[in-house]
Amino acid sequence: MIEHDFPEDFVPIAAELQRLPYLSPSRDFADNVIARIDRLHPARDAYPVVASRHLELHQGGRQAVTPRRRMGVVRGTARAVVGVGLIAAAAFMFFEVDLLTAILSAGVTQYAFVLGSLGAQVGAMVLGPETLAYLQAGAVEAVLLYLTLAVGLFGGYAAIRTAAHIAQRKAA
Amino acid sequence: MPPKSYTDVSDQQVVVFAQEGREDAYRELIKRYERPVFSLIYRMVRDNETAEDLAQETFIKVLNNIDRYRPEFKFSSWLFKIANNITIDHLRRRHVDTISIEGSPDAVTAERARATAVTITSGGESPLEELESRELGAEIEKAIAKLRPEYRACIILRHVEDYSYDEIAEIVKLPLGTVKTYIHRARQELREYLGDLR
Repeated sequence: MIEHDFPEDFVPIAAELQRLPYLSPSRDFADNVIARIDRLHPARDAYPVVASRHLELHQGGRQAVTPRRRMGVVRGTARAVVGVGLIAAAAFMFFEVDLLTAILSAGVTQYAFVLGSLGAQVGAMVLGPETLAYLQAGAVEAVLLYLTLAVGLFGGYAAIRTAAHIAQRKAA
Repeated sequence: MPPKSYTDVSDQQVVVFAQEGREDAYRELIKRYERPVFSLIYRMVRDNETAEDLAQETFIKVLNNIDRYRPEFKFSSWLFKIANNITIDHLRRRHVDTISIEGSPDAVTAERARATAVTITSGGESPLEELESRELGAEIEKAIAKLRPEYRACIILRHVEDYSYDEIAEIVKLPLGTVKTYIHRARQELREYLGDLR
């Protein structure tokens, strides 16, 4: 019995509340639940139902962690490749940023100390001074391209996630 | 060694057997709490089918995550917490703040609305007492249905399930002061709704 912490005029209501009967679910309630307990039906684990990402089990347990999807890495890599490809193509088409030049410039910039001397020599012999000058001029474009790629990737991913979340909520 | 009967076994011990994968332990937990959980959910959504679905969802979530249960907490509190979360989420999805006493918002036909309108029965008293009790019980059900879902959960957990304020705060994931306020306001509203009957 709970302690009496309400006004006298609420006593009869409190008494009635305590007398409210429990209601029963259908007879096959337990069977329906048991049929969907993964541990009791291990064969189904090969095709697990994705658990809700919003499980809140703070009190009785630690935060529920949604199992990682097996295809997560592959799917992520594929998405990243497609995203980079699209952005690179868009950059080339709309801003005339030459991807090949950008990559070569980035490589040259990254290993500048080593490649600088070698590149100058080899480049001068193989590519010729005009090509070298072209590659060096592309360095700024490469930085811009990398920044664009990074912003595009993160922004695109965030937008997709947000859209999916909204769609999921609306569908639910 | 699992017992032949779980009658005198505590919830925590039954959970341990369930964590070992014993189906009878799962069934025992369902048997112990299907009616309280279903009743709480039903009184919040006022539709039999919806309540059944949400109660099933509650048990499936809890039992599929039984390994995450921490024995320092009451199993029933954990269960009610999940039930409350699932029900509140459902009500928010359906944009239902209050429930009509004439029938559930999930009812799509007049017949269904009549079927989900509040009716309550009770027993063990003289015909007159039973009639009065049934009338008051039905009115209380109607009055509960008029409360905000948050108030409903708090007042049911307090007065039907006998939980302390602290436990209710943990279950509904609200500050203790908010829970006390909700219960206070729920009592006030119930007094107003039921004023003529007392």
